[in-house]
Amino acid sequence: MRRFRFRRFSSRLLVWIVGLLALVQGATYLLVVRTNHANAVRRINEDLNLGARLFAERVNERLKDLAVRAALMAGDYAMRELFLQDPIDPPTVKSALASYLSRMDAQVGSEPGAPGETGGSQVRFMVLLGPDGALLGDTGGPLPAASLPSFKKLISRAAAAANDPRATGAAQLGSDRKLYALLVIPVFAPQPEIVAWIGLALPIDRAFANSLKQNMRLDVTFVHGGSGGREAMESTLDSAEARTVAALATGAAAGVETIDLNGDPTLTAFRALPLPVLTEGTVTLALQRSLAAELAPSRELERFLRYLLPASIAVAALLALALARTVSQPVRSLASHTAVIASGDYRTKFVLQRSDELGRLAEAFNRMSDGLAERDQVRDLLDKNVSPEVAAQLMRDGAALGGEERDVTILFVDLRGFTRMSETLKPRETLALLNRYFDRMSGVVERHKGVVDKYIGDALMALFGAPVAQSNAADRALLAALEMRAALEDLNAEFAAEGQPPLGIGIGINTSRVVAGNMGSARRLNYSVVGDGVNVAARLQDLTRNPDYATAILVSATTLKAARGSYRTRDLGTAPVKGRAEPVAIFALDGA
Amino acid sequence: MPRIALPLIALVTAASRLAAAAGSADGAIHVLTRDAAGQPVSNAVVSLTRLGDPEAAPTPPNDPVPIGQRHQEFETYVTPIVMGTRVVFPNQDTVKHHVYSVSKAKRFEIPLYIGDSKETVLFDRPGVVTLGCNIHDWMIAYVVVLTTSHFTKTGADGTGLISGLPPGTYDLVVWHPLMTGTVQQQITVAPAGDATQVIPLSLHPDRRVRRAPDSGSSGYR
Repeated sequence: MRRFRFRRFSSRLLVWIVGLLALVQGATYLLVVRTNHANAVRRINEDLNLGARLFAERVNERLKDLAVRAALMAGDYAMRELFLQDPIDPPTVKSALASYLSRMDAQVGSEPGAPGETGGSQVRFMVLLGPDGALLGDTGGPLPAASLPSFKKLISRAAAAANDPRATGAAQLGSDRKLYALLVIPVFAPQPEIVAWIGLALPIDRAFANSLKQNMRLDVTFVHGGSGGREAMESTLDSAEARTVAALATGAAAGVETIDLNGDPTLTAFRALPLPVLTEGTVTLALQRSLAAELAPSRELERFLRYLLPASIAVAALLALALARTVSQPVRSLASHTAVIASGDYRTKFVLQRSDELGRLAEAFNRMSDGLAERDQVRDLLDKNVSPEVAAQLMRDGAALGGEERDVTILFVDLRGFTRMSETLKPRETLALLNRYFDRMSGVVERHKGVVDKYIGDALMALFGAPVAQSNAADRALLAALEMRAALEDLNAEFAAEGQPPLGIGIGINTSRVVAGNMGSARRLNYSVVGDGVNVAARLQDLTRNPDYATAILVSATTLKAARGSYRTRDLGTAPVKGRAEPVAIFALDGA
Repeated sequence: MPRIALPLIALVTAASRLAAAAGSADGAIHVLTRDAAGQPVSNAVVSLTRLGDPEAAPTPPNDPVPIGQRHQEFETYVTPIVMGTRVVFPNQDTVKHHVYSVSKAKRFEIPLYIGDSKETVLFDRPGVVTLGCNIHDWMIAYVVVLTTSHFTKTGADGTGLISGLPPGTYDLVVWHPLMTGTVQQQITVAPAGDATQVIPLSLHPDRRVRRAPDSGSSGYR
């Protein structure tokens, strides 16, 4: 599998920055969501527990308050007289109890008509009971008779409480089996002689549930559990939801459960009623709050974040692209400038008005192109001072001292009568004339792929077969010599036209095995050849002065032997060569 | 608050020292009431009813028995009387009282009065009558109406004496305001006998109301 590579710096920067930002923001978002959820659950848990406590407190406070009021009534002499008449007078007792009921339910200490507060639930009925729990009188209706067994239980509990004989409990009464909190307090004559009991019933109904819902934002359901299964009694929920809750109310527990209410996860606390239940079965208090409702404000924030996060990523992406451009733009123009330099244009400068790393890079680049221009200039000069082949070799192999043996054809050409001519000319004119002549001669050498080795005064030394080996080096030298003679005739024709005297040349050619290489000191080197063969070529050139030979071009036998072409030559016998024991066989070259 | 059950211990000692002192063959019974902690119990009414040979109904005293009120308390907490006794309720306080009873043995009330009440109340049925004052909740007293003249009320030392008892078998009954359950037993009085009857009582805590602190009187009697 191939590793992915970025083709553009901006893509790389974009991917990194956007990726990093997306990662961080994604993590942040998830953290916020999780924290919100956890907080909501914790808050609901607290509120559910608080709600359960509040409910218990309200019921007990209300009952305590009623107990105090009922105790005042029980101590009322007229009431006591009435209650204990023998025989008892039920209609009078009923009317007196009703009168007291209205007195007790007067909203003491609270604004009249304020609903939903502690005093919201009105006492439903009162009973007067004998010391043994027999019904002596009541405020009417079927409920008092139904409540007797429950009150009897309460009386036995109250009688057991030594100093404060009163008791509270809960009971389901009537055909609709509504839930009531029951209270009994004694009638003393005097204390501690209990001569009767007063009982009263406070409905635990919708009003109670609603007041809890208003204050705590909790849904409240009372669930009755008995042999016939569980059913919801009173609830702030609709009946279907209340049924669902009742079905799940397996019993009071300390914890909080999450139940599904119409697809809405709802945290629910099932708590025992804070009163002992005197009738059949159990009563469970279910307190609930929807998680979705609790999370609604958090969801608002999360939705805002869902818009904000991509927006911030988009802004960051734009910034990243802009930043990338400030880097990639100069880099691209630097790259295109490189192409300009590669094409050999060193003069165009790379302009970047920056002082940062890229600015320094631009400066370095410009210095480099200056250096390149300088090197090119050096190369140019080299080309002019040494032959292109030598220059090429120098560029390739470097200017190292050393050498190799090689078969090279050496050609010497010397000017005749130049010294005499230069006497009549100014130095500048002399040099101009000489250069004009050399220009023609070097041109011939180069045309025949020879190398101008050096100029020695008015003489020129050319090499064929070095530094680049050539198979037909001898032929090239011979043809070059013939063309030089022709070129000189052309030049002389020009001179004649200019009124100058003609020039003459002598050419010597020899082929020999010589040592070729860079010679000189380490600081200054010349590519050249040395060997006996070089002297022979110079000697042959010198011999052309001999009028006996009547030729301007002398060629050694070795050259003719190396040559492949056929040339018109004349055998001139042998000639002694200085520093060489063997004489050299020489030939005059007359034409091709 | 749970009741404190006090165990009952009985000890009967026969003696004949006081037989001659009575000047006849009549015997006497000393009673000693104790609670579970062994402390003497006062205000216990111990009565004896002769079995087998019914005695004539006791003769009530000619003068009414007073149950006064002083320092906003009844002066006697427990008053045993024989049936047919009249009781007066003189008020020696500076405030009025409204004495009442709703007990089955005697229902009555003497509306707000001060000084000697002109009204005497005849207790003509046996039983315990609880007295109260309608305007002072803490005031409480008991009248124990008996059908026998053989009775005593224990004093602060928990003792009482019933004398002038013809020899024979008696039904002994004890009543006390804080008593849990009943105490009823048979005892035999020998001619000129002098026995001490120790009666253990099981009492529940006193539940009388604490009266207001500025009422100028000190606690219960």
